[in-house]
Amino acid sequence: MDMNSFLPIQVPWTPQTATSAPKQAPSFFPYADNAGTVAAISGTDFAVLAADTRQSAGGNYLINTRYQPKMFKLSNGSVFGTSGFYGDATTFLNRINQRLEWYRHAHDKEMSTPALAQLISILLYSRRFFPYYVRVLLGGLDLEGRGVVYGYDSIGSYEACLSRAVGSGGKMIQPFLDNQIERKTQTGILRAPLTLDKTKTIMRDAFTSAAERDIYTGDYVEIFTITAQGVNVEKFDLRKD
Amino acid sequence: MVSRVNVPKGGFNFDNYQRNLILQQNGYSMPKATKTGTTITGMKFKNGVILGADTRATGEALVQDKNCPKIHRMAPNIFCCGAGTAADADKVTDMVASQLELHRLATGRESRVTTVLATLSQYLFRYQGHVAAALVLGGVDVDGPQLFSVAPHGSTDKLPYLSQGSGSLSAIAVFEERWRENMERDEAIELVKDSIKAGIFNDMGSGFNIDLVVIEKGRADFYRNIETPCPTIEKIGNYKFQPGTTAVLSESFRNFVTITEGDAMDIS
Amino acid sequence: MEWNFDPFSNNSFNHYGNNPINASHSAGGIIQRTQSPKVWGGTTLGVVYQDGVMLAADTLGSWGQLARYRKEERLYPVGNFTAIAYAGDMSDFQYTKHMLDSLMIKEYYINDDHVLSTPHVYEYLSRVMYHRRTKMDPLWNTFIVGGYNNGERFLGYVDLLGTTYQSSAISTGLGAYYAQPILRKAVEGREGLLTEAEAIELLNSCMRVLFYRDCKVINSIQRAKVTAAGVEITEPYSVSSEWGFGEGVRGFGSQKQ
Repeated sequence: MDMNSFLPIQVPWTPQTATSAPKQAPSFFPYADNAGTVAAISGTDFAVLAADTRQSAGGNYLINTRYQPKMFKLSNGSVFGTSGFYGDATTFLNRINQRLEWYRHAHDKEMSTPALAQLISILLYSRRFFPYYVRVLLGGLDLEGRGVVYGYDSIGSYEACLSRAVGSGGKMIQPFLDNQIERKTQTGILRAPLTLDKTKTIMRDAFTSAAERDIYTGDYVEIFTITAQGVNVEKFDLRKD
Repeated sequence: MVSRVNVPKGGFNFDNYQRNLILQQNGYSMPKATKTGTTITGMKFKNGVILGADTRATGEALVQDKNCPKIHRMAPNIFCCGAGTAADADKVTDMVASQLELHRLATGRESRVTTVLATLSQYLFRYQGHVAAALVLGGVDVDGPQLFSVAPHGSTDKLPYLSQGSGSLSAIAVFEERWRENMERDEAIELVKDSIKAGIFNDMGSGFNIDLVVIEKGRADFYRNIETPCPTIEKIGNYKFQPGTTAVLSESFRNFVTITEGDAMDIS
Repeated sequence: MEWNFDPFSNNSFNHYGNNPINASHSAGGIIQRTQSPKVWGGTTLGVVYQDGVMLAADTLGSWGQLARYRKEERLYPVGNFTAIAYAGDMSDFQYTKHMLDSLMIKEYYINDDHVLSTPHVYEYLSRVMYHRRTKMDPLWNTFIVGGYNNGERFLGYVDLLGTTYQSSAISTGLGAYYAQPILRKAVEGREGLLTEAEAIELLNSCMRVLFYRDCKVINSIQRAKVTAAGVEITEPYSVSSEWGFGEGVRGFGSQKQ
């Protein structure tokens, strides 16, 4: 009730809520944020990607499901991870897979990871003015067999990077990776290349920590390891509260 | 005598309220308050009242406090769970608890639950929801076991089982399914724990540990962290930094005291 | 806080935001269908059990705050081994039913006995939903799709945005708040171990809680089960309810009379 409507003058201190205008029926809004966290680290001859598996409803405190994978294997041992709006994510994934199939038919080979990285950028930009609300990471091996990770914004700007964390817990994990992987704040010691085991350890601890403080991250973490031998998937527990 | 000094009368001041709204409309954001998120519940059983709470406090998506105490002691025989804006829930219960203490000292009698109920609901109504506390109040006094809830605008409820907070819907479903009249102490404790757990596991605003208080005639048992339904997962790596991790770029040494020759200090 | 029960007000306390009076029917000459839902079905539940999948819904179609249609069947078989449950706009659901029926006929090949299985129906439905949201002309529904094909159980969710997920227990509407904790407690960790009797008892119990707590659920419910034997949808029935807790509640404060 707007109190000022029946007061003769506007009383300066009359408490009003910021949303005192009459509410219309909710107009349709085409996005939701199903949240979750994705992180990726590239090594000398491997890449490690991880994501939690919680899908939440967006805008409220509901958990849709405790296990809905956010990462998908693509061609040639590349792995694609996404958080944001899951409807856009599934659609985007379908479009990538369709393009990969066309590529296979046209060229009789699998698409390489760097080419796929550019394809993803182009597909994201194709919806520049009605963007896919997705935060994408792509991991794999480049043409020389080195680990690569590509990070994107949701409209197609991309760059290769050593480590990247995106999504609801991304802001918490990124500084940890900057310190442990890129060693930006450990300037006094030698940069020995990280082993695969150590990288996976850092990844698991990053997610157990993020699950402590980010309410949208939890339930399970899936870790995809990409080496010349192929893609290995492991699943570990996170907090379920 | 007329004082030249304006002595503040206490209470809240809404003078800047409209100004703040205009600032907000122009894109300046107000500081965010910590919300409790919260599942809090209470139920009556055979001999008294049980109150329960989770221990998560959130600010937007971030957990602010992993072991936030949400059950407040109002009097030796009366307890109150608080949800909503954490500061409001803390302060309003502290304030009423202090009034009750003075009242007990003045009258020499045990506090009554209805006194607390009336004080809380009148206070919250006066501030028209701006003091955003949602409370579950329980205790045992001369009238026997009693349980109430108070909503942020001051309305009250009186029911044999109640819940408040963002996890209240999950929690009340557990009661609707399993609550019975005159339950024994042990099964009642289990039911309250299960109601909190429903909030902890299904509501992202609630989490971490369970606090519980069992109030019976002449006795109140407060169990802080009676259960930790999902313990923190241990780190598997070691993140100790070796000496020298931070590079020393340059060193300089400066004397701030000039030492001159003279008589030695007497240190005998 | 109280609901505002005036069906013709613009008041924000209409939780479902489905007041028919607020509907706008067209924008700038572009044909648009549901911009806000009118006749509305509320909660639906779905759970995986030993022999397959079970869905439940009440039979109320609301028009604003009015309990308009009390025998609205909200469970529907698609082919022989798929059932869908809807929440949301009734006319959009009827359109969807028609669309899925046509699809099943179109994709039935009698010579090799090919019929669409549940994952196919689910994928098709979710693509249609996403397509319509992208046209800013959504089908204002939330679906639970349940099925049983060649020994595989399937239970999936799709809504008006094209958001999808699969889980062993799904609920929509206020059921996501009230029923989901009960379903998860019963199912999590023992997926597919629930017996048929336990599953029926579980869904009845959830519907009872919803009848107590959700204003837009009535005590007239239906269940669908999808097993190796096909889809079976019950007639509407009622569950027992208990209101005796109110006996001891009198007045405010410490009043007892």
